[in-house]
Amino acid sequence: MNDETITTIQQALIDGDSEAAETAAQAAMEAGVNAQTILDEGLMRGADIVGQQFEAGEVFLPQLMFTARALKAAMAVITPELKRLSAESGTSSSKGRVVLATIQSDIHDIGKNIVSTMLTTGGFEVIDLGVDVPIKRIIASALDEGADIIGCSAMLTTSMPFMGDLIRTLEAMGQRQRFKVMIGGASVTPAYAERVGADGSAANAVQALQLVRQFMRNAST
Amino acid sequence: MDYLEIIDRSDSGEYISEENWDLEKVAMTCMRLVSQYDLKWDKQTLVPDDPALADRLFEAGLALAVEIGAYNRSSERILRFERDELETALRDMKQTISMGRGADERVLFARQIEDSRPPLVWAGNPGAPHPEALFLPAVLSWAQEPIVDLITCGTLAEVDGREVRTGEALEISATRRELTYLHQALARVGRPGMGMLAAQSSVSELGDLAAANPDYLRPCDAHLVPMLNELKIDNRNIARAVNSIEYGIRNGGLYCAISGGLGGDAPGCALISVASIILGLLTNRADYHILHPIHIRHVATSTREVLWVESIVLQAFARNAPAIIVTDIYPKSGALTHELLYETAANALAITVSGGHLEGCGSADGLVPHATGLEARLMGEVGHATSRQGVTRAQANRWILQLTEKYEHVFQMPEGNPGVRFDRAYDMKTLQPLPEWVRMYEEVKAELKEIGLDLDN
Repeated sequence: MNDETITTIQQALIDGDSEAAETAAQAAMEAGVNAQTILDEGLMRGADIVGQQFEAGEVFLPQLMFTARALKAAMAVITPELKRLSAESGTSSSKGRVVLATIQSDIHDIGKNIVSTMLTTGGFEVIDLGVDVPIKRIIASALDEGADIIGCSAMLTTSMPFMGDLIRTLEAMGQRQRFKVMIGGASVTPAYAERVGADGSAANAVQALQLVRQFMRNAST
Repeated sequence: MDYLEIIDRSDSGEYISEENWDLEKVAMTCMRLVSQYDLKWDKQTLVPDDPALADRLFEAGLALAVEIGAYNRSSERILRFERDELETALRDMKQTISMGRGADERVLFARQIEDSRPPLVWAGNPGAPHPEALFLPAVLSWAQEPIVDLITCGTLAEVDGREVRTGEALEISATRRELTYLHQALARVGRPGMGMLAAQSSVSELGDLAAANPDYLRPCDAHLVPMLNELKIDNRNIARAVNSIEYGIRNGGLYCAISGGLGGDAPGCALISVASIILGLLTNRADYHILHPIHIRHVATSTREVLWVESIVLQAFARNAPAIIVTDIYPKSGALTHELLYETAANALAITVSGGHLEGCGSADGLVPHATGLEARLMGEVGHATSRQGVTRAQANRWILQLTEKYEHVFQMPEGNPGVRFDRAYDMKTLQPLPEWVRMYEEVKAELKEIGLDLDN
């Protein structure tokens, strides 16, 4: 029963079918499947398959976005139980919380959206603030949400300096150590990231996911 | 349609969240229309000779524009247009535009498929950031090429050693200084009236307003009014359109649909490109169109997907609604590489036989100042030779496939193939290409001649 239920959840994620994902998660919960198992074996595995297909160029952005949407729908069903389990065991089921934004003055969002979707399908909690987000708002959101990571993107070279401003503001506020900061965008290089004091940069969504995983691994050791 | 009507619809249209616009409107509708209109491509046919496909694509693009309209990201409202409003805009679309003035004036026109009239050659690398010291020499390198008809440029990333930030004070200085350098360059090469697509250092309306003065952008010049991905505009760009209406410069509607993005693979990208151009007549007040599809991973216009998109979109308009479409060439490779020249030649061939004008080259993806006048010369020479020789789509397709074999490995290179900065490819005193760069150019010209394209006769 468990196997079939989990397969149904995986397939709903692969199909990017929110309704089916929600129904399957509900059915699994009612059948007594552990919420953590639903998350790890069903949702994450299904999302991971689509993520790999996207990396390989076998599916395109819409499929990835529909999968992320299906994941969110199913998560809404199992989150209360996950929280209860977390409270019971004293551990968190979250892989990490990321505040994402296209930096102040820049309105390009496709790259940021792909990163947001990849991180979501990779199991991270993403608070996506949108485009042209003032640095004060990014910092306030990161503090309010208890984020582990701040991710900023800029496609325009004339917007990139604001990413350095964000890091300097965090330093001035005495909050720099509280977050890992990753940056990305068409013109952002590792050298630029180092120059402005970021913790890392990613050239694409796959690298962003790897970087976030690395940040969280390092934080737990 | 009066532009005030566009502003009204931006404020009063149906509300939809941006995520729902992207997924439920754009992605779902594209998926359905691609299937319904049987829009397909194959990797061996980058320049299709399939009139029915071009016609279906045009019909599908018009259907997309009618069905979902455009989205104002600032107000989160849908701008809807009736079919007859869009068809009227298409009927009224400009067929010629004069650019520049005096002896340097050129007339952009709606080209046809396999047109014997050569494409206009618009040289420069729009958007590529430049340190100030390199800006004027780089612009001079393409302005001095006799084959060049019109000019554009990268952006000034710094002013007097200070970083330029969008929306802040130095954006004004950078935009005006960029225009000052452009005028200096044109004066120095003896072509002061050459038409420009400029104010590239202006991202917000701040720089755009600062350049609306005859000492900077003249009424015979153009600026960009981009459509955002996908099928979106915002109040910032509406302000740019209004500025040009009030001041009188030409609007270049810029469309950068993503292949592999919300529309899916190449056919969906082509579909969105067609709808963008149609809608851009109204939302962007486009006097002419700049077609610049982007590959989701490799960015470059020389990828097979983007070559196909550029070709079929140009053909769709040439057959159904002749339009002035300037088509961007943004190769993966940069200066002092053979691959840059192969990529440029492939792109220029596809665009010229399909009915477009040429703009470029945004070498090395336009991310670094690694573009020079030499590849702009080659771009123009390929365009002229293609129309002069009466190259057919089938011939162009064969030659492009031969060229792709020579450069496609660059898409597998982890760091791309950026080549070198402008000042390492050109002699900075004489502003002539270094001998090694000239040698590569001559070699590629000889190879082109061998496959059948003679740039000299």
